[in-house]
Amino acid sequence: MTSPRIAGAPQYAVYTGRTTSWPMVAATCVGALLIVFMAKDSNGNWGDLVFVVSLILVAIGVLANVLTASSIRAMAGPNGFTVRWGLVGWPRCTYRLDEIEHADVIDLSSWRVSYGLWWTPKRTNCTVSSGPTVQLTLRNQRIVTITGPDPAAAVAALREASAGAPPDLG
Amino acid sequence: MRWAIDHTSRERLQDQIASCVRRGVASRELPVGEQLPPAAELATALSVDRNTVLAAYRQLRDDGVLEFRRGRGARVVSAGPPLSAVTEAAQRLIATASEHGLGQKDLIRIIKELT
Repeated sequence: MTSPRIAGAPQYAVYTGRTTSWPMVAATCVGALLIVFMAKDSNGNWGDLVFVVSLILVAIGVLANVLTASSIRAMAGPNGFTVRWGLVGWPRCTYRLDEIEHADVIDLSSWRVSYGLWWTPKRTNCTVSSGPTVQLTLRNQRIVTITGPDPAAAVAALREASAGAPPDLG
Repeated sequence: MRWAIDHTSRERLQDQIASCVRRGVASRELPVGEQLPPAAELATALSVDRNTVLAAYRQLRDDGVLEFRRGRGARVVSAGPPLSAVTEAAQRLIATASEHGLGQKDLIRIIKELT
């Protein structure tokens, strides 16, 4: 994806998709209820370090779920590939066309699903379900895997947006 | 969901965006209850003004296709007419064109001239 479509080009084709992870939404609700019950039954426990740390850990888990694991919004087109996590669309990340070496649709097995944002030195996983998934290989060799309702359409939009795409993209 | 617009087309941008939504709804790519992308995000992606996207969304709301909810954006509320009606009309068009000796290329040219 070497030559992104120039700004102001007459035709724009953009892919948008949203995937919601209902198991993670359920986990978030359970976590939130847990916080409520823990706080309700906290008579005299606020000085107990274990209780407070447990409460904070559950709260962090719920917040992480809400922000990164409940849903993923993806947008692909002339501006590259943008991913927005969670219910509020933040955090977000954009991979510009000139950063993307190639884009493919892979079949993600269930044991490789990250259920939210998962970052390692060589990979970024933004997956909430198994099955067909977009995989971007960046020029710095980082591999980004993103769940979307129609990965083939997302890859097609990226390829369409990229003029002079190399053969492995075409 | 694929959004395709042509900045050089004679058709207004807001109408093109509304057509994309109608196509998505008719093909069930956008099922009832589906939330559309926020206007600002879509506007940036399509390189149009945010008000253009909002105008398209309002037009669809007025037609009963979308509803707006505070804090939840625009959602599809109507499944819209099925594509079969368009397919039937296209079949009638093809039959009429065939009677007049017109082929696929002629039909596409006529449609492009009209749109």
